[in-house]
Amino acid sequence: MATQRKGGTLDKNNKYDRQLRLWGDHGQSSLETARVCLINASATGTEILKNLILPGIGSFTILDGNKVQGEDVGNNFFLMADSIGKSRAQVTTELLSELNEDVSGDFLEENVDDLLQKNPAFFTSFTTVIATQLPERTLLNLGKVLWSVNIPLLVCRCYGFIGYLRVVIKEHTIIESHPDNFHEDLRLDYPFKGLKDFCDSLNLEAMDKKDHSHTPWLVLLYKYLQVWEEQHGGKMPKNFKEKNAFKELIRQGVRKNEHGVPEDEENFDEAIKSVNSSLHSTAIPSEIKSLFEDPACLKLNSESKNFWIMVRALKEFTETDGNGFLPLRGSIPDMTADSERYIQLQTVYREQAELDSVAVAGHVHALLHNIGRDEPLNPHTVRDSQEGSISDSEIKTFCRNSAFLTVLRTRSLEEEYSAETANTEELGRHVMMEEEEDASDEGDDTVLYILLRAVDRFFTEYTRYPGYFNNTVEADIPKLKACLTKLIHDWGLTAGIKDDYIQEMCRYGASELHTVSAFMGGVAAQEVIKLVTGQFVPINNTFIYNGQRQTSTTIKL
Amino acid sequence: METEWPGRWDHLQKIVERGGPFAHPDFDPSPEILSFLKETCKILVIGAGGLGCELLKDLAFMGFSDIHVIDMDTIDVSNLNRQFLFRAKDVGKAKADCAAAFINARVPGCRVTPHYAKIQDFDESFYRDFHIVVCGLDSIIARRWINGMLISLLRYEDGELDQTSLIPMVDGGTEGFKGNARVILPSLTACVECTLGFYPPQINFPLCTIAHTPRLPEHCIEFVRILLWPKEEPFGAGVSIDGDDPKHIQWILEKSQERANEYNISGITYRLTQGVVKRIMPAVASTNAVIAAACATEVFKIATSCCLSLNNYMNFNDTNGVYTYTFEAERLEDCLACSNKPQAMNFSEADKLQDVLTYLQENSTLQMKTPGITTSVGGKNKTLYMQTVKSIEAKTRENLKLSLKELGLEDGQELYVADVTTPNTLTFQLRLATTMDNS
Amino acid sequence: MIKLFTLKQQKKDGESGPDRGKRASAAQLRIQKDINELNLPKTCQVDFPDPDDLLNFKVVIAPDEEFYRGGRFVFSFKVGQGYPHDPPKVKCETMVYHPNIDLEGNVCLNILREDWKPVLTINSIVYGLQYLFLEPNPEDPLNKEAAEVLQTNRRLFEQNVAKSMRGGHIGNVYFDRCLK
Repeated sequence: MATQRKGGTLDKNNKYDRQLRLWGDHGQSSLETARVCLINASATGTEILKNLILPGIGSFTILDGNKVQGEDVGNNFFLMADSIGKSRAQVTTELLSELNEDVSGDFLEENVDDLLQKNPAFFTSFTTVIATQLPERTLLNLGKVLWSVNIPLLVCRCYGFIGYLRVVIKEHTIIESHPDNFHEDLRLDYPFKGLKDFCDSLNLEAMDKKDHSHTPWLVLLYKYLQVWEEQHGGKMPKNFKEKNAFKELIRQGVRKNEHGVPEDEENFDEAIKSVNSSLHSTAIPSEIKSLFEDPACLKLNSESKNFWIMVRALKEFTETDGNGFLPLRGSIPDMTADSERYIQLQTVYREQAELDSVAVAGHVHALLHNIGRDEPLNPHTVRDSQEGSISDSEIKTFCRNSAFLTVLRTRSLEEEYSAETANTEELGRHVMMEEEEDASDEGDDTVLYILLRAVDRFFTEYTRYPGYFNNTVEADIPKLKACLTKLIHDWGLTAGIKDDYIQEMCRYGASELHTVSAFMGGVAAQEVIKLVTGQFVPINNTFIYNGQRQTSTTIKL
Repeated sequence: METEWPGRWDHLQKIVERGGPFAHPDFDPSPEILSFLKETCKILVIGAGGLGCELLKDLAFMGFSDIHVIDMDTIDVSNLNRQFLFRAKDVGKAKADCAAAFINARVPGCRVTPHYAKIQDFDESFYRDFHIVVCGLDSIIARRWINGMLISLLRYEDGELDQTSLIPMVDGGTEGFKGNARVILPSLTACVECTLGFYPPQINFPLCTIAHTPRLPEHCIEFVRILLWPKEEPFGAGVSIDGDDPKHIQWILEKSQERANEYNISGITYRLTQGVVKRIMPAVASTNAVIAAACATEVFKIATSCCLSLNNYMNFNDTNGVYTYTFEAERLEDCLACSNKPQAMNFSEADKLQDVLTYLQENSTLQMKTPGITTSVGGKNKTLYMQTVKSIEAKTRENLKLSLKELGLEDGQELYVADVTTPNTLTFQLRLATTMDNS
Repeated sequence: MIKLFTLKQQKKDGESGPDRGKRASAAQLRIQKDINELNLPKTCQVDFPDPDDLLNFKVVIAPDEEFYRGGRFVFSFKVGQGYPHDPPKVKCETMVYHPNIDLEGNVCLNILREDWKPVLTINSIVYGLQYLFLEPNPEDPLNKEAAEVLQTNRRLFEQNVAKSMRGGHIGNVYFDRCLK
């Protein structure tokens, strides 16, 4: 069911083809209804927006009170030499808008602090807010405003060869996390009726050679598990030794030719290969169990997010119809088989998944009734995530992904920045480590975060960044060191950081290198896409890029 | 157009005019570095697609002013979600031309020279001119080709590498949310051929599955593409599939759907059909931005020595959080490309090919058994002698009696010799002395 | 670390003597090695129409036992610049009544497609092809009709093969004579 997306002059199916293969038509729809706000159209800021406008974000608004300066044009692709002296918000909005005629762009030439004071509600009309180049105090104010209304904030900055990205969000729920690796949901340990019936209807001994060598390995495993369990008091092979013995049992089943030599039976090879990955016991993952105990799941009300209503329904399903299991995923991997039996087997899984999803839907509808959400709520008074009803296709997607549900709750900026609640344990570990190490060794990029904080403290104290002016580079080194020492002291830590790093920070002098901005522009834009599509898993909560070594780290601060 | 203004290079100057503890030992901070980037340093960008557009922008803003770009493609609508130097009105035009024109108009003083051509259209004299080559390609064959070219540009004197002949190659690749960036110093660090195993093989389904036991929608599409199309030739004899022609895709879609129905297979869509036929890789602006930026940063580091280079490979993936893994890919000791240092071989023009053969067999360090000898003339292979294959032996036997001059071999010519005694084909460089009495 | 740009200057033109012409590609060097080391059974023969072109050649298989003894089957090999990352393209040019080779000359051999690995060589492929004539596999067929006959009536299959090789019709398909 491909939605027709016509806009501008081009067919959107065609224009967005390469990305629709990643997040689907529904992901694209979410993207196209999102409204982002960029605070400060620095090089980093416009690079982020570029990577959101190209894939077709709904709209963007640039808030920037600055006039374009010579150095801005030197590192920002969306400014030109004749822009110097003009409104940075306006020029960048115009040039960015050229990237995609399906995206609407808007700007506001105003000082952020003033706006936060006068009209904080301005910020709450966006799906996501992105901030670059904000001083600490402004950032904390903005963070507070957005936190209270659960609007995600991304803070991004580039400093010399360092990239920094912080995601701040009270709660973000993900149904389609698209994991790279996962166990198939095959239920060989607890076969459902359809699977049993299908497998029991097949008789390996009675098959001709062709059917025998084209029986899907899933069926082979089922059959030989029965044999095994008969011999082992109903228990599955558990440890390495037993699994090897089980593999041998399967190997004995390979047909032999008239000379007693085993035939080439690829399905048996595949069955043996699949033993280790397919015989894991079916269980509810602990992450999902903890969602079941989450207050948001246990205490539903009329304002509850669809996600949590479905989690609650899932919980109820596992406690009743599901017999302690999640709904069946309903997909099987490809395997050597004749078309007919593969499709039959696939159908067996699909049909059970359908039954499970209908059962979950039953719970969802009962819950909606209980909280008085039978009718769609007035769309003008509630936000997107709280529509009244929940569609069957939504429930199906939810069930198919029920083992991979993810809830992201980051800490607030306030928690990170106040000395009492700062994650000093994490930070302390890195400072200590760094002290013992040689600078040329594999270092730790967390140190770069601490340095950025020190640089901010320097700015608070001197209203300029260390090394910003050529003639103060040397003089700023001890000053920055003093700031750093104070910072670490405030955290109640005692260790220090190598002087080399301090010197390097003064070399950078708050320079914003285009390629570092471009790198972070890609990273930050992708995190915004994750947030607005509700697909894939964003960082929790701070990403540090070390452009010198091309390494990175993610830390919870 | 104004090409300089106050403050333009402020950000860069801090990095190249100030020393730092993490800089490359050779780093000598001075304003000359920026002049070198702007006036002397010559960069070749291969590919003006998703990575190429980003690379051109990134390099232009890092001070590089003499940039060449090669791309053989024209612009398609499906490029516009990430190849940001192109607009709807550019569809059908050459990527290299449009990209160059855009950058030249936007970035004062930057001169991008476009080449709407294949990389194979240029020879050594073209490539030798560049200081650094950056690749944003989606083809392994093209990567291997340029890798081989840069290795063949290396010069040795008495077995020692002449370092001025070394052209670093910075290479990026992306697929969906995954990507990698790497730095190759030909013959010094792992090259493309050393790490061929990093590139996943193409997915090829068994023909018998496609022909008789399809299970997946992909099997049905491959059936139509591989087996049915050549049989039915729906758009005329000899017309091969054009994945960009909607009529072709539509035909394949319908036939695939028929076949899928026959086997109760579901999931055939236009998007899937085109994806399978064209082997489309998903692509998104953000990953290209990240990988191209990492590559451009490395180009800047190599050109300025402002800090150490990536050593030598970075993987990136931002599906689940943001993940990078940086490591040193190792050189393959018997790499077909970069370990195959040409060995000198001295003969005179009057010597016969038989003498070369005898030398290969009798030289105490070689002691080859049944060497097969080829050379390259004008980019094409010429088999001089090969005894293990009867049909070739018969056709090349006469060559043994010919002198090297008669065979048209020149001083400096490379001979390629394969033999059971060595794991790979070896390269020899012929040193030919002119014999006066033979003229 | 090396000093790459110690000169930091214009690249000098023509500093390194004459061009040696384009160097042989990695694929070319690899195929030369493969070809030089072909070690074929006496039933197989390789033929290069153009000895300078090592990328395109024919392999002739003339089995001396089992169903196909006495026959002569020509395969064309096309090796691309992707070699050995990508397998060569192999087609059977002789029309053959065989479960794993269809009437268009497509060959179903695992190492030509799904199981290809760069460590494999031209030699491995020739051996694989030869094996197909000794042990046709009716369970995973390309030519389904031939496979069904082999499965249900070995005698008839043997007769059909013999007939096809002499030149004649099997059903309504005509096979050219391909006996030695």
